[in-house]
Amino acid sequence: MFPTFRLSMTWLHTWFGLVLGYVLVVVFFFGSLSVFDREIDRWAVPETRFEAQPMPSFDEVLAPVYRELKPHPDDMVATARRVIGPLPDPDTLKLASLYAYTTHRDPVLLVGGEFGIPNKPRDASDEHQHVHGWATIDPRTGTPLPLDRLKIGSDFFYPMHYSLHLHAWNNVGYWIVGFAALVMLAALVSGVVMHRKIFRELFTFRPQKQPQRRLLDLHNLTGVVALPFHFFFALTGLIVFAAIYLPVSEKVLKPLHDAHEQLESTRTGLPLEPSGQPAAMASVDAMVAEAQRRWAERGMAGEVGLLFADHLGDANGYVSVYRAGTDRVSLTGEGIHFRASTGEVIRVEPAPGVVAGINDFLTGLHLQHFRHWLLRWLYFLGGMAGCVCVATGFLFFVEKRKQQHAREGRSGARWVDALAVTTVTGTLIATGAILVANRLLPDDLPARGLWEERVFWIAWLCALLHAAWRSAPVQQARRSAAWAEQCLAVSVLAVAAVLLNWITTGDHLWHTLTTGYWPVAGVDLTLLAAAAIAGVTARRLWSAAPTWEPAHA
Amino acid sequence: MPDALFYVLVVLLLVLGLASLALAMERHWRQLRHGLPLPRRTTLALRAMGAAALAASLALCLWLDHGTIASLVWVMALVPAALAVTFTFSWRPQWFAPLLCWVGPRP
Repeated sequence: MFPTFRLSMTWLHTWFGLVLGYVLVVVFFFGSLSVFDREIDRWAVPETRFEAQPMPSFDEVLAPVYRELKPHPDDMVATARRVIGPLPDPDTLKLASLYAYTTHRDPVLLVGGEFGIPNKPRDASDEHQHVHGWATIDPRTGTPLPLDRLKIGSDFFYPMHYSLHLHAWNNVGYWIVGFAALVMLAALVSGVVMHRKIFRELFTFRPQKQPQRRLLDLHNLTGVVALPFHFFFALTGLIVFAAIYLPVSEKVLKPLHDAHEQLESTRTGLPLEPSGQPAAMASVDAMVAEAQRRWAERGMAGEVGLLFADHLGDANGYVSVYRAGTDRVSLTGEGIHFRASTGEVIRVEPAPGVVAGINDFLTGLHLQHFRHWLLRWLYFLGGMAGCVCVATGFLFFVEKRKQQHAREGRSGARWVDALAVTTVTGTLIATGAILVANRLLPDDLPARGLWEERVFWIAWLCALLHAAWRSAPVQQARRSAAWAEQCLAVSVLAVAAVLLNWITTGDHLWHTLTTGYWPVAGVDLTLLAAAAIAGVTARRLWSAAPTWEPAHA
Repeated sequence: MPDALFYVLVVLLLVLGLASLALAMERHWRQLRHGLPLPRRTTLALRAMGAAALAASLALCLWLDHGTIASLVWVMALVPAALAVTFTFSWRPQWFAPLLCWVGPRP
């Protein structure tokens, strides 16, 4: 089809890069924000602006919380669709298992559990006989936060990064992101093949050359200097979700999966099923203390990240205590499991083998549970470099073709440009809009979180329409006015978000900086930096206005 | 915050290392020594200097953090360092002149 290998790689890179680039730029951007998801949560939910807390005492603080925990109304609705007959009254359902999860950056604690139900499933292979309940609590007092407070960082931006919030058609968003990651790996390899002077031009950016050359320099630069980052994040992203993309053991090899589960249970001594014999729970605090003693013996930081208990109130009940892995990249919990009724140790998880160790390292590399602020910022920078790389790719595509398309009366370059505006500046506008809405919507608005999400989508849609409308000049090989106008909008929204945070919470920058409350200060400073960059860009685009004049004038 | 200073040192060493490696290339050598040939010996010396600075920064990373985190910090710190080196060559190449102070006559 192509005379040379290089040309076929160029075709692959250009067209797959273009189509999936729109997804990649969104994934890169929200991935970068997810590095600071907990900090964005603090900004968005001012009630939670206090210092990060360790896992609280189970016996004193958490036990009463689980007694009060109820099945979540959303999951009652979802479960009712899966089972035969009406579900019992949620207040009568009993908690069968529970968990509590925190990280070294969380002031609040995520708690939840599964409630057993008597109903039979509609689909006989569906073994999930539970309704879920969950809550976010203040671990100092055990008070739950209202359920409609949207944690914009961890509950909106982060899922956006891996699912695009597209849950229709069996979570099609996961598949689109997965395919985009695969295409990114292909784009990186083909990009390296296409690049004629990858070493000779490693440090090359020539601002005095033609726009097309400048764009290509910047595209190569941001792609190549962060190549290890781009490659490993696309790869590890696929590994993290491998079980979703290839659910071999659960779907294809179901009998083997079930047999393995049995075998695993015999091997580890952790019962798979309840015994039917009631039994009270021993002190969980004592189990946590024992787990921490054992971690300390192995020279590991001993904060608890995850508490899990299964078969509650049953003689087969057990409690698992996992470490928050803040001191290394690998995502391992060094779990220690206890018999719930007596508190004796059933099992200490051994160090992972080679394959599991590599998997833990690659997963941890992507999910970053470590305590290292510089590395977080470097990840953020890597993600931003990825955004610049994809965005300059779009611009190069348009620059290269717009003259020819204008001569031939084609509109391809125009629509590529309009979609580039939507996914680059439009994404920033939607992000600014949800933060502004978060500060402006009344506190007692029912389903407040849902409204914040709606504002995000509406703002993005407006950016798309605006970009489509203003991109007409591209058809005459001139520049779309949408770039400058949307940059200005980004700048205004970012400054507005910082000012509204000050007005509605009193936490202005001077206050957060002098008291050292970095989660909020960091978000505000980043917003101001974004406003400055967008503002300068808008001004430069306007002062370069002559290119908007008709080409023949 | 002495730790922060060490990380600044890591990035500085990376900038020095990458800039030396860049100066060992014709394109960037010409930016500072316009019209003068790049002797083979100088190329090798610049590369050795660059490699030494990169190795020193990696050693410093390993001294600061657990091995797995240190290697990530080092690879990721290459990104801002390489961008800084590139943009300096774009706009202010003469800032790297001190790196060539030991090499023969100036143009």
